[in-house]
Amino acid sequence: MIKRLDEMVDLVRSAGRKYRIAVAWAHDANTLGALKMAYDLGFADPILIGIPTEISKSAKKAEVDITGLRIVEVGNDSEACAKAVELARSGDADVVMKGLVGTDKLLKAVMDKEKGILPPRAVMTYVCAFELPSYHKLLFMTDPAVIPFPDLDQKVAMANYAIEMANRFGIENPKVALVGPSEKVSRHFENSVEYSVMCKMSERGQIKRCVMDGPLDLFLACDPKSVEIKGIPTPVDGNADILLFPNLESSNPFYKSLMLFGGAELAGMICGPTKPVVVMSRSESEKSKFYCIALSCLMA
Amino acid sequence: MVLKKLSDLGSIVQKEPRKKLVIAAAQDKYSLNAVMNAANDNVIEPILIGDKDMIFSIAKLGGFNLDGIKIIDEPDTEVAVEIAVKMANRGEVDILMKGMVGTSTLLKAVLNKEWGLRTGNLLSHFALFEVETYHKLIAVTDVAMNIAPNLQEKISIVNNSVACLNKLGIPNPKVAVLGAVEMVNESMTATLDAALLSKMNQRDQIRNCIIDGPLAFDNAISHESAKHKGIRSEVAGDTDLLLMPDIEVGNVLYKSLVFFAKAKVASVILGASVPIVLTSRSDSEQAKYDSIILAAAAS
Repeated sequence: MIKRLDEMVDLVRSAGRKYRIAVAWAHDANTLGALKMAYDLGFADPILIGIPTEISKSAKKAEVDITGLRIVEVGNDSEACAKAVELARSGDADVVMKGLVGTDKLLKAVMDKEKGILPPRAVMTYVCAFELPSYHKLLFMTDPAVIPFPDLDQKVAMANYAIEMANRFGIENPKVALVGPSEKVSRHFENSVEYSVMCKMSERGQIKRCVMDGPLDLFLACDPKSVEIKGIPTPVDGNADILLFPNLESSNPFYKSLMLFGGAELAGMICGPTKPVVVMSRSESEKSKFYCIALSCLMA
Repeated sequence: MVLKKLSDLGSIVQKEPRKKLVIAAAQDKYSLNAVMNAANDNVIEPILIGDKDMIFSIAKLGGFNLDGIKIIDEPDTEVAVEIAVKMANRGEVDILMKGMVGTSTLLKAVLNKEWGLRTGNLLSHFALFEVETYHKLIAVTDVAMNIAPNLQEKISIVNNSVACLNKLGIPNPKVAVLGAVEMVNESMTATLDAALLSKMNQRDQIRNCIIDGPLAFDNAISHESAKHKGIRSEVAGDTDLLLMPDIEVGNVLYKSLVFFAKAKVASVILGASVPIVLTSRSDSEQAKYDSIILAAAAS
């Protein structure tokens, strides 16, 4: 069972594969730096898509030597997105990664009905793993980035992606906490209703390979002492592996506060498309960007 | 203690002081016979309200003695009902029973805001079955009163029934929330409500019982069937109480148990300040008698 993100990197390297990463509009110095780290460690084979002179300029500015990295020339950022997705679709790339282009542009190409890589009816969401100084193991969460107000089906899909990811980390039956403001069920909190339904689905084997409970507040999810004090019998037992949030409004500030105040490093990616899609935000550290690349290779 | 037969209820009642039962419009042959049998068995102390002449002629025909029995002569059924309900309201009796009067008249009086028997709880029907093919008594609710209960109403129905089962000496009854399938299905409201009731029970929002659902009927009453389906559940196969999704399912189940499975049944209305025996004309005299015993045990 992997407890640190560096161990995840080791696991990726141990596969002995070079994952082909199609980078859309690779004009971003930070991205190039993180890619170069992955390249130097021998598990990444970046395909830089963009204007070659611009890519070289960015690399020089970031003092990154991109000798040996493949470059595919396109005229603009939309073409870069389309090309990256096309390479993934044809099996010529294992991962799609965003460079210096808006997330919406890249996801538009990913979701394109004819040329995209999102299967019909598949739910697209974001799952990430946090390494925190204040928690004894990795903490996965979903969805801090993509679905504003997930419905029940989307929440189930989110849980399943997170469980699958945790499984890849060697966590066989991850404890999934469905996060809310309290552990009580109330008709006035639609999420507590959906959570109850999800718990029953898990009991009945409609959601597999996990231990699920919710609603749970963050303390009951991650702090065994609170479980003891409150006396709520919960199989998650203050030892959650995965936190599922009810909506973007609660998940995104949580995600950002961990980075800003919690000293967190993270690895995250978009789940749902046939190939992992890496969409990093500027606020992530270079280390986290590198972890995102490693994670997408692990999940490829 | 596991209750296996309706006659086991007698032993619960015997341990307690004799309960007072008032019957409104007592001039009904079958009801009166059942009341007098229960009185003769020393299970209850009856108070008969109704048309005295008719009551006496029924007694004569039935061959029982009314000496020492409190009788209030009131030929007008509506007034008889009002007197009976007011007695219950004042705490003078433990059980209210319907005689020769329409159900709606009785319930209207029970729900009277000034002198009725409202407690703030929903009224619900509780039926207790003795089925030869099941290893203990099994309660079913609601088969007669609430038509299509919503979640909040289902919670009240469960609470009424659990309190009753607790009184019958079952401290932690196993409640199966019935569905057509044991899986959760978004397009079947009953299965969603079942999931919610289960979680509310886990969170102590519904107490003194163990709830699981959705369970299909076979999973609820048969270990083997639950095992076959791979359902891990404390309730499956050992259900004390079956919660019906609506009256249509409940009523059909009730009648098929009686007609096809030759089940014996006792029933009572819960949720008022006293249990109400409200059997229908089609119920056997035995069912009426057993319902009186059930009400005495539940009061």
